[in-house]
Amino acid sequence: MSSRDDILGRVRAGIGRAPGNAAAGRTAIEATLAARRQGPRPAVADDLLASFKAKSEALATTVDIVDDQARVPAAVARYLAERSLPTEVVGWPALESQPWRDAGIAFAGRGAVDADLVGITGCHCAIAETATLMLLSGPDTPASVSLLPETHIAIVDASRIVPAMEDAWRLLRAEPGGLPRAVNFISGPSRTGDIEQTIVLGAHGPYRVHLVLVKSGEIDRLK
Amino acid sequence: MEIRSMHFKANAATALANPVLQGNLRTSKGKFVDKRRAAIADFQAEGGDFEALREAGRDLRNRVLENLDLWLEKFESTATARGAAVLWAKDGAEICRHVIDIGKRHGVTKAVKSKSMLSEEAGLNQALEAAGIQPVETDLGEYILQINDNEPPSHIIAPVVHKGLDEVADLFARVHRKPRKTGIPELTREAREVLRSHFLTAEMGISGGNFLVAETGSVALVTNEGNGRMVTTLPRVHVVITGIEKVIPTLEDLALLLRLLPRSATGQHISNYVSLLTGVKQPDEHDGPEHLYFILVDNGRAGLVGSEFQDMLRCIRCGACMNHCPVYQTIGGHAYGWVYPGPMGSVLTPLYTGIENAIDLPHAATLCNQCGVVCPVKIPLPELLRKLREKQVEQRLRPLGERLALKAWAWVASKPKLYALGTRIGVRYLDWLAGGGKAIRVLGVVPAWTEGRDFPAPEGKTFRELYARRQKP
Amino acid sequence: MRIALFVTCLVDLMRPRIGFAAIRLLEAAGCEVVVPAGQTCCGQPAFNGGDRASAALLAKKVIAEFDGFEYVVAPSGSCADQIRNEYPGLLADDPEWHGRAVALASRVHELTDFLVNVARLDRVPGDFSGSITYHDSCTGLRSLGIKRQPRELLAKLPGVELREMPGAEECCGFGGTFSVKFGEVSAAIAEKKCANACFTGADVIVGGDLGCLLNIEGKLRRMGDETTRVLHVAEVLAGDR
Repeated sequence: MSSRDDILGRVRAGIGRAPGNAAAGRTAIEATLAARRQGPRPAVADDLLASFKAKSEALATTVDIVDDQARVPAAVARYLAERSLPTEVVGWPALESQPWRDAGIAFAGRGAVDADLVGITGCHCAIAETATLMLLSGPDTPASVSLLPETHIAIVDASRIVPAMEDAWRLLRAEPGGLPRAVNFISGPSRTGDIEQTIVLGAHGPYRVHLVLVKSGEIDRLK
Repeated sequence: MEIRSMHFKANAATALANPVLQGNLRTSKGKFVDKRRAAIADFQAEGGDFEALREAGRDLRNRVLENLDLWLEKFESTATARGAAVLWAKDGAEICRHVIDIGKRHGVTKAVKSKSMLSEEAGLNQALEAAGIQPVETDLGEYILQINDNEPPSHIIAPVVHKGLDEVADLFARVHRKPRKTGIPELTREAREVLRSHFLTAEMGISGGNFLVAETGSVALVTNEGNGRMVTTLPRVHVVITGIEKVIPTLEDLALLLRLLPRSATGQHISNYVSLLTGVKQPDEHDGPEHLYFILVDNGRAGLVGSEFQDMLRCIRCGACMNHCPVYQTIGGHAYGWVYPGPMGSVLTPLYTGIENAIDLPHAATLCNQCGVVCPVKIPLPELLRKLREKQVEQRLRPLGERLALKAWAWVASKPKLYALGTRIGVRYLDWLAGGGKAIRVLGVVPAWTEGRDFPAPEGKTFRELYARRQKP
Repeated sequence: MRIALFVTCLVDLMRPRIGFAAIRLLEAAGCEVVVPAGQTCCGQPAFNGGDRASAALLAKKVIAEFDGFEYVVAPSGSCADQIRNEYPGLLADDPEWHGRAVALASRVHELTDFLVNVARLDRVPGDFSGSITYHDSCTGLRSLGIKRQPRELLAKLPGVELREMPGAEECCGFGGTFSVKFGEVSAAIAEKKCANACFTGADVIVGGDLGCLLNIEGKLRRMGDETTRVLHVAEVLAGDR
């Protein structure tokens, strides 16, 4: 008997699985999958943008807000200059067509390698409840860009800030493309507390995470 | 992992006498307990109902267990549809066989690991080394243990909670052969540099799996350091080792459990990284594994389904129970002698390794229920511990003296006149031992009490005799 | 109201004055108090030790003895919990005894809970004066919800200054037979409880379960503290006589 049969057989015995209840079981499974029942959720903040910004900063993420997409490269250049970070960056091929060169940034659209110090990504959406970015892997959005470099800069469209993870799943299901190989939820710089329960930023992932929030045509509610 | 739970009493005594461990336990307790409380207070302040969340978590986990066989089959089908291979392992030895098999098939010489408690159950690292594959732990705490001669972890979330900064600094200096660092940030950076090269050269990544999502055939990994992402993005082979009880139905269920797990474990509202991984690297992708294997493990879990201990399968491995346990806080995790310490370890160790191997564990508890009230999925831990005590009595595993004492007490207590006589004699004996003073310093019948504290003297007469006297006109 | 007092084996053996204090309080609340003469032990040591048979034997005895009263009151959270919450499950296989256990369960109360929520005691007879810190015994707190009740009663004494200790809700390390099976660990936990209690500088440590109090007092004396008193809440509320 294969291990699979052995294990499933003993699980079935424990449940009391019999021909009589197998059909009911299958119906229950399908019903659960279809229902997508949500659990209790906290209240949604009145101002998602402000809430998202405040919680991001509490996680040691820095946030810059710009009025439109065109100002992004300059905002990134400013951030890099302020921290004396290199202007050679790796980034999502999906962002290649932005006017990086005009802002003095050498942008390479590819997967990251160990030598890359700055990585620039967009994000699929952002979750206000926990100040979390949701990034989908893909040929134009390689996961390594937000992982290997010491500095991760993410461009966030303010209209894509959703209240909770459930809303992010809803968006994902509604849009074409389906579930990619990797959905990475990122909430701040990497950290560890393993030594004496003291939190240190910059474990294996980035030391710092910076967001450029683009208010794309939305009414400015942040006051 | 080798079972050392039968040496619990001796190990506990050693732990009590270890001042460094005691100091670390004091500090870490405050951090875990306070941070969790603060996170829940924040959540409540935003209109969240943590109690309702716990109940929803319990109900969700129970619902899966009711049809666990079908959920596992569902996961298997959705995962394989996305290009993953799903394997099954009855026990630790089979886990090792599968992993080595996969390693050999893909020409693996080095495997980077992110945390997997199941791999500890199986003793996987030793098996890989014996088979010529170099395992490298990348979770900072697990890495520290590995280079310290494969020392076992003492906590399921914070594996080196028992170690101090100086210990780690000495260890790094010795093993890395670099100048000794003195600060925690410097040590962390050194580990990052040392491990980065391993991430980039390993052919295989091994991870655990916090949850398996049946709807999509995915594994969810909850981490803070980024090593979990490294291990599952860079090497060309990814192996997920996880227990059969980890399957959950939908992505919405994942969102629910993610509200419970990080807050209960470390007091974070969300862990730094949550990765949902589904299938293999596509032809036009830059990164990701070309081969993905799931190893679904029994190793005692199937046996709990339908048993009086089934509730234990709800566990989501947060560690809140041990953080709040007065016994764990006093002796640390190593004394428990196997992979899982604290209350959940005291339930799982006898169930997974054999009740006779861990006789002391279910009794090393005051049944205070500090664990039960913080468990995010409402596992009635004291009840399960008591049931294990019952099993021991049924199987005649308790010491003869104890069995007789309990029976004798019950027998005497069922006979009021005999009890009255016995207690009158007993209380006068105790009074005599106190020698007219307020306390007894050595209580011969139960010396274990008076080794560490006095036994207050009784009043000298029983209530029943005094009351009877007062009732007489 | 006709109340039966479940005095508990520890009070019977070690501190009869707690039993008398409980009677005084119940009478001050206008109750007629009966003390069934043959009572012994609720069976918790056997139950927690895994000996269901012995525990069931004692459960039946208690059920029979305490039949026919409006309420049964115990100056102990763990004993009240045993009778109220554990007896029904313990006798689940026997329909007749199970029914009787359920009927008894709803009438069983821990002392302070009874005085506040049932008898609604207005004034307490005691006259204690001094500072107090309160230890919340685990079973009473987590299984019966005893938290506010003793504090409400203590607040009725004008001379009492209540100081909350850090970790008031943390286990003292008694745990019944745990205190002798794992004496060293138990004493180490007790030491932390004593340190927390003494941190308040209170004159008296007060609690609702004698097992905890004997454990705390024993540890205090071994630590060299001969002055901090350890009293049951009934003693403080009822005063001396």
